[in-house]
Amino acid sequence: MTMETADSALAAEIEALLRRPVFFRDVLAALRAHPYRVILRAWSDIRTRHALARDEFGRYWLEKT
Amino acid sequence: MKQADSLRAVSARPTNEDFRAMLARMERAGHLRRVKKTIRPEHITALCGKAPAAVMCEAVEGYDIPVVGGLYWTRARMASALGWPEGELGTRFAASVARPIAPEAVERAACQEIVVSGDDVDLTALPIPFMHEKDGGPYISAGVAFANDEKLGPNAGCYRMMFRTRRELGIDLFTASDLRRYYQAKFDLGRPLPIAVAIGVHVFEHMAAAYKAPAGLNEMHIAGGLRGEPLQMVRCKTVDVMVPANAEIVLEGELLPNGWTADEGPFGEFAGMQGDLKRNPLFRVSAITHRKNPIFYALQMPWENDWLNGPATEAACARVLGLAGIQVAAVRATEGGCCGWSVVAAIKKRAGEGKNAIAALLSLPVVKQVIVTDDDIDIYNSDEVEWAVTFRCQADKDIVILSGMKGKHVDPSVRPWDLKPGELPTTSKFGIDATIPEGVPAFRYERIVPAFLNEIRVEDYL
Repeated sequence: MTMETADSALAAEIEALLRRPVFFRDVLAALRAHPYRVILRAWSDIRTRHALARDEFGRYWLEKT
Repeated sequence: MKQADSLRAVSARPTNEDFRAMLARMERAGHLRRVKKTIRPEHITALCGKAPAAVMCEAVEGYDIPVVGGLYWTRARMASALGWPEGELGTRFAASVARPIAPEAVERAACQEIVVSGDDVDLTALPIPFMHEKDGGPYISAGVAFANDEKLGPNAGCYRMMFRTRRELGIDLFTASDLRRYYQAKFDLGRPLPIAVAIGVHVFEHMAAAYKAPAGLNEMHIAGGLRGEPLQMVRCKTVDVMVPANAEIVLEGELLPNGWTADEGPFGEFAGMQGDLKRNPLFRVSAITHRKNPIFYALQMPWENDWLNGPATEAACARVLGLAGIQVAAVRATEGGCCGWSVVAAIKKRAGEGKNAIAALLSLPVVKQVIVTDDDIDIYNSDEVEWAVTFRCQADKDIVILSGMKGKHVDPSVRPWDLKPGELPTTSKFGIDATIPEGVPAFRYERIVPAFLNEIRVEDYL
């Protein structure tokens, strides 16, 4: 198990998805071309940098700052 | 009492069956199949739900760690894991709980063959699967959390954990539990609570941790009772907490004193319904230790979670029936009732005991509906039970409804959203007395028997 860096382009892609409320499964579904672990690394970076908003259904989105 | 006081230091013995040895037994019994084809982590839960046996996914895309799931999906698989007969889960559990055995401390442990700590910790190295459509993220569903309290001693319990970042997980401490009590005490002081989470422990440890043990009874003593020998435990590398020595993977770290603030969930809950988004504490991981070539266990909701509690439910039912002076022939916690909410009991009935049995069983907090039959009914055969209900029950006399009893928030039929904060739900419960009614002679229920039944062998004709 080794530490690897996240894909910043992929993180930007996820941030674009988060402009509207989405379930986590929507993020996975939209990024099928990428390895699962790479998606989780990018998700980790996003959660570290942003306090993601959630609605009552559990959807995520990035609030405008 | 210091945790070490209850442990005896010994060298490791080969007698403690570990998780992978249990898997090997299940595979030999046909309850576990190996999957060679590469699978993505987010497809594992769907495969487990469709597969006729538990599955060991040996090739998980992007990972060098296999994932096993569906181990306790049915009564048969649970019995296979335990190595017990299917009809004796409750009685064997009760007997084991009655003779707890203290764990043994060991100095060297398989779960610490590889140690990753500090900045090298990266939870994305583990194949934590995304499980259900509306989940808030990938989940560790098979984590057994271990903690220690200076006054209350060690504790183990089952808690779900949602992936957030490489080093942080959300942990569900929403409902009352010992770990919540330990955490609350530290939170009040503004201090973190050191914990360790073992993933891939033997069913005995998992079942003991899921059991709501009486206060003061260490769950791992119950695990020893289930094993019939002391469980071997080892001290963690970065926190003062003991964990099962043969666990596949251990996460060490702290529950941060952020309180109930971090978004966690939704998650597919034990009752088979998608749960709510919650606010919960954070678990920051300081080290990941694991065996060489570890196996990641992804417990599949709801049935695996439910079956971990099924034997305890059946044991509790037998106990309350015994206290009521009723002779119990068999008790079955049904899967449709999530192995706790719905119970079928067969009794050796004396006059009035059909109703007494219903009253006793419905007094258990989680049991919501019961069917009581005579002991000539095979309660593991749903057709037999339905036959008894059909022909031995008069609805106006034999269905007992009790109102205003303690309910559970997870049950939507109690309309928990109408409750005020802190208000507990109440529920109605019912029981069906499907025993032969008083005054009806037993010969009225004489079953038809094919003539010369024992003289015919099917294989001689078909």
